[in-house]
Order: sequence, then structure tokens, then C-alpha cells
Amino acid sequence: MNHSEAATIFNKNEKKVNWHDKALWFVRHKRDKSAHSVEGWEELRNLGQGIKAHTLSNLDNYLIQFEENALKNGVQVHWAQDGDEHNRIVHSILKEHNAKKVVKSKSMLTEECHLNPYLEADGIEIIDTDLGERIVQLAKETPSHIVLPAIHKTKEEVDELFQEHLGTKPCGGDPQYLTGEARKHLREKFVNADAAITGVNFAIADTGGFVVCTNEGNADMGAHLAPVHIACMGIEKIIPKQEHLGVFLRLLARSATGQHITTYSSHFKKPRKGTKMHIVIVDNGRTEQLSRPDFRASLQCIRCGACMNTCPIYRRSGGHSYDATIPGPIGSILSPGKDLTKHSSLPFASTLCGSCSDVCPVKIDIHTQLYKWRQIITKETKQPYVKVMSMKMMGDIFSKPTKFEKVGKVARWSLRNLPKGIINSKPNVWGKERDLPSGPVESFDEWYKNRK
Amino acid sequence: MNGIKTENKMSSRDAILSRIKTNKPDLLELPIINVDVFADSRNIVDEFVLKVEVSGGHVIKASTTDDIFNQINTMFPEGKVKYTTLENTAAFNTVDFDTFKSQKALENLDVLVLESDLGVAENGAIWIKDTTLPMRVLPFITKHLIIVINQTQLVPFMHQAYQKIATEDNDFGVFLAGPSKTADIEQSLVIGAQGALSLTLFLR
Repeated sequence: MNHSEAATIFNKNEKKVNWHDKALWFVRHKRDKSAHSVEGWEELRNLGQGIKAHTLSNLDNYLIQFEENALKNGVQVHWAQDGDEHNRIVHSILKEHNAKKVVKSKSMLTEECHLNPYLEADGIEIIDTDLGERIVQLAKETPSHIVLPAIHKTKEEVDELFQEHLGTKPCGGDPQYLTGEARKHLREKFVNADAAITGVNFAIADTGGFVVCTNEGNADMGAHLAPVHIACMGIEKIIPKQEHLGVFLRLLARSATGQHITTYSSHFKKPRKGTKMHIVIVDNGRTEQLSRPDFRASLQCIRCGACMNTCPIYRRSGGHSYDATIPGPIGSILSPGKDLTKHSSLPFASTLCGSCSDVCPVKIDIHTQLYKWRQIITKETKQPYVKVMSMKMMGDIFSKPTKFEKVGKVARWSLRNLPKGIINSKPNVWGKERDLPSGPVESFDEWYKNRK
Repeated sequence: MNGIKTENKMSSRDAILSRIKTNKPDLLELPIINVDVFADSRNIVDEFVLKVEVSGGHVIKASTTDDIFNQINTMFPEGKVKYTTLENTAAFNTVDFDTFKSQKALENLDVLVLESDLGVAENGAIWIKDTTLPMRVLPFITKHLIIVINQTQLVPFMHQAYQKIATEDNDFGVFLAGPSKTADIEQSLVIGAQGALSLTLFLR
């Protein structure tokens, strides 16, 4: 199913779509308020962009340095070329420690690699411990947003899920009660876990340490209680020095939720006494994206989700309509690099308004890249017949001024005089949900020539 | 790990690194952080208090350690399991972590009082490092977290905080802002997710 078909399904529940749209726009507003309170915010974005771009241009050396320091810290380092190898490595570490019960904090990378089903197939219990992720896990769904995984769920739906799986009482969707019950349920999982898996927000080359950010404290509850901690990271999570965290931690939460910093920004360097710490460094298509000059800046992403909250398409189509681990504008420039055919509709799920690029804390030119993917996709994948023909016709009209003028005249007259039934007839998809404006008497060209 | 696994690991490592080497762009310059461009006219203490409160914490101005512990005892009269790392306050402790056997028992910790030597005004974050903790999990697993900090240990921005941290060697450390929280159910903010239910900050 392509994006617009999936979005049509999401749009059947108008009330829910309106709520989704408004909720995310509210988060976007919080982001603005928070960002505008920072003196030198644009300079901060410039630094974020500059540090990330520099890092990508020297990524191999920084990864080597990171590995060297992590090993010195007593951390074991593993390398995975793809999702499969990542899953095999994590599985073998768990087997080595005879771990049957695993708690996991949010990691989009492990979602990307489909780690959960891989481990579950071997009878390992893996519990997502971020509340939003636990909700979607219980619902057997995937996150629809990278920061707000369950934004597509109503509180009543969560209420029902918890009654079914956690044995809670019906509460009319009371968030306080439901969160409290989730706390009890998850704390029981934390204290009994054999191993903890976390993602990595930033990995620091010059210390070999890494930082994990959460609001719920779930990464820390997992990692500090279990005897084994496995941290999974994409190769692009590296930053050169610890002082650069000053830039990125100032940008991340403000861009994500409008908070000035997440509740917990945990700096892991060495395993605690008597326990093991592993880091799995994953490529899974990232080095290929690095080879594309037009698209490599997408690897600067720090996964704040600001581009999703601001996107008029995302807000009205929902994260699941993208059918990709990372939805929204940033996902639409990352996904085609992995599978051009499967994700060929995503770069078209945009108005190219550029708001995503404006809010991006590391200044990725997201909407320019969306446009560039369109050029490639149109050439390399089969386009619908109607689209090909109409583009050809439009191209012909636009290239011939006399023809353009004639067609314009007919179109303006038609919009003024033909009945709606004809104007909005089936071939005109623009007339499906809206009325076209009444045609003006003069064209711009005529107005310009006749002006006094 | 056996020899075969190590060999596989090496080959993936080398394959990834060599692909990066081939695919990366020409070296770009690393920008230098000029902290001066971020300077604003805000008062550090006022800003810090404001931001701790924005993040869901309570701030109480205090003078002496005795004063602080008197207030804590009134705040949590029902607290049975209590622990502090502050000096000369051992009478407050009801547990001794050196003898702790089961992790489950840690869940009963009601009140934990810690000291921090670094707070950040721009976001209300407080630095806690593991050299000051008997166990890393404590500030997260405790029901109520209390932190004592001196006004003189506040810095305006994260940049200055990292300048200070650069002089230390910590195996683990956390910037902590407020109690644990979530808005994952319909964007309604709920204080008290998986970590501490409350954060009280004594500023002296």
C-alpha cells in the first residue's frame, strides 16, 4: 500500500485525525517557545550541523577512536553490517549470559533491525519499557512516532489494552492511574531482568562513553539493575568530544518536546562492578547513504522528531501510513535509500513547504532532499499512467506560451461556468475533498499588461 | 568468545570501516564553540530555580544541614527506608547498602538524599556522578529524591557544565532534571513514571 492509500484509511476517523493534528501542532508550539528562549539558538543549530557534518567526514577514524576508548573502559565492542548480524550478536550475548528476561528502553535501531521477534522466536521475553513503546508492544503494533510512539492511540484504547494485558480496572482512560499501573508492571520487570538493552543518543569518541536520554528513567532502571547491559547504536551516533554534548543536549529535548532537557541524560562509560557492558555498532545501509552526496546529510539526524510534529502531511496522515521504522519527513529521505521501490511514495508525501528543514536542530535540508528523491524515483520506478501522461501534457503546455495562454483561457472560463459536477468529476482528484476557486476573468499576464 | 566469532567480528568491523573510508566526503572543519554568543542577562540562581520548577521539581532555599534534615523529616513522616550520602548525617539512614543482598529490596527505598556539586541554570539539570553513589540505580529507584546543592555550584549553560566535568573521570554520571515523567497517554503529563516520583531540591 502506498502512503496516500494508507493515509486515506487513517483519515476515515475524522475526530481522531483532528486530535492527532492538534496534539502534534501543540508539541511544535512548545518547541518554538523553548527554542526562542535560548539566546543564540541559530548559532547552536549551526554548531550542531557543523559538528555532525565534520564527524561524518571523518567517521571511520572517530569510530576507531571510540572503540579503542570503550575497550579501555572494559566495554566489549561488536560490529554489525546489517540488521541480521545485529540480531545475531545481541542474541549470542544473551545466550552467553543465559538471559531469558530482557528489558529494553527505546531504541529505533532495534526496531529497524526487528530485534524483538528475532529474540522472541528463541523464547526470550523482551519487554519494551518506555510507556509508549510498551503500549504499542501490547497492541502488537509499531511506534508511529520516534519520540511519541503511541501518539496514534486514544486513552480509551490504552485503558482497554491494560485491562486485557495488565489486569487493570476500567478507568475511563485516566492517564494518572494507567501510568501508575504501568510503573508497577514495569518495575517488576526491571528487578527481575537478566539483561538490559538500550539505544544510544550520542557516543563520544574521545571518552568511549555514550549518553542515553529518557524522561521516564526506564533506561537507567534497566541498565543499573541487570547484570548485562547491551547498548545498540548506528554508526552515525558518534560525536568527537564530550564538550559537544553541550551543543546536542541543548538542542535535542527543546526540539523534541519543548523541554529544556530530558529528565535523565545518563552518561555511561564503564560497567559497574561485577557486570558486563556491550556496545553493538551497526551499519545497516548507513555507509551506502554516506556515499550519496545529495542525501548523506540525513545521517546528521539526532532523532528529535521535530520534523514530524511540524509536517502538515505527517500530522494528518499518522506515522503508520509511512510503513517505515522512521516515519515523517526524515524517514522519507532515509527510507528510499534502503528500498527505493517499497518506499517510492514517501518523498511525495510532502508539500515541500520546508517547515521540516526550518525546525531541524542540525539543519538537514530535508525538503530539498525530498525533492531530489522525487527526481530519482520518477526516473527509476514505474509511475502511474495518468501521472505520466498528465505530466507530459503539463510539460508541453508550460513550454509553449501561446498554448499556455489558450489553455488558461479555457480553464478560467470553465471554472466560472461549468457545473460543479463536471469540474469535480472523477479524473480531477483535486476536487475530491475541496471546491476549486472560481476562475478569474483576467490572467496574470493580461492584468500585468493592462495595469496603469 | 571462540576464534571463529572473533574472526567474523573483525571482518564486519573492517568492512564497515573501509566502506566509510571510501564513501565519506572530503574532510570538513570541526567548528569551535564560542560560548559568548549564548550569554544572556538572566540571573543564574533565579533561572535555575525557575527551570527546576518547570521540570516538575520543588525548590526550597535552606541554610544549614540541620535545617534541611528537619524539613525532610516533616515532609516524609511516613518514609520508613531512608538513606543519605551527606556527611555527618548517618543518623538519618535506616539502611546500609553494603549489606544489601536482593535488588528487589531496593524498591522499598522511600527517601534518598544526595548532594550535587553542579547545577545548570538554563535547564535545571543537576549532575550526579557515581563516585558519590553507593549504587548507580539509587536516584532512579527511590520513591522520593532530594538533592542538596550550593548556589555557588551553579553554571549558566551546559557548555560550562561540560568544562567542569572534563576535569573529572566518572564511570557513570547523569544530568537529572525533575522527577521521572511521561506524556505517552494522549499527551497528558504524568509525574512519576518508572523513576523517582518526586524531586525536591535544597538550595543553600
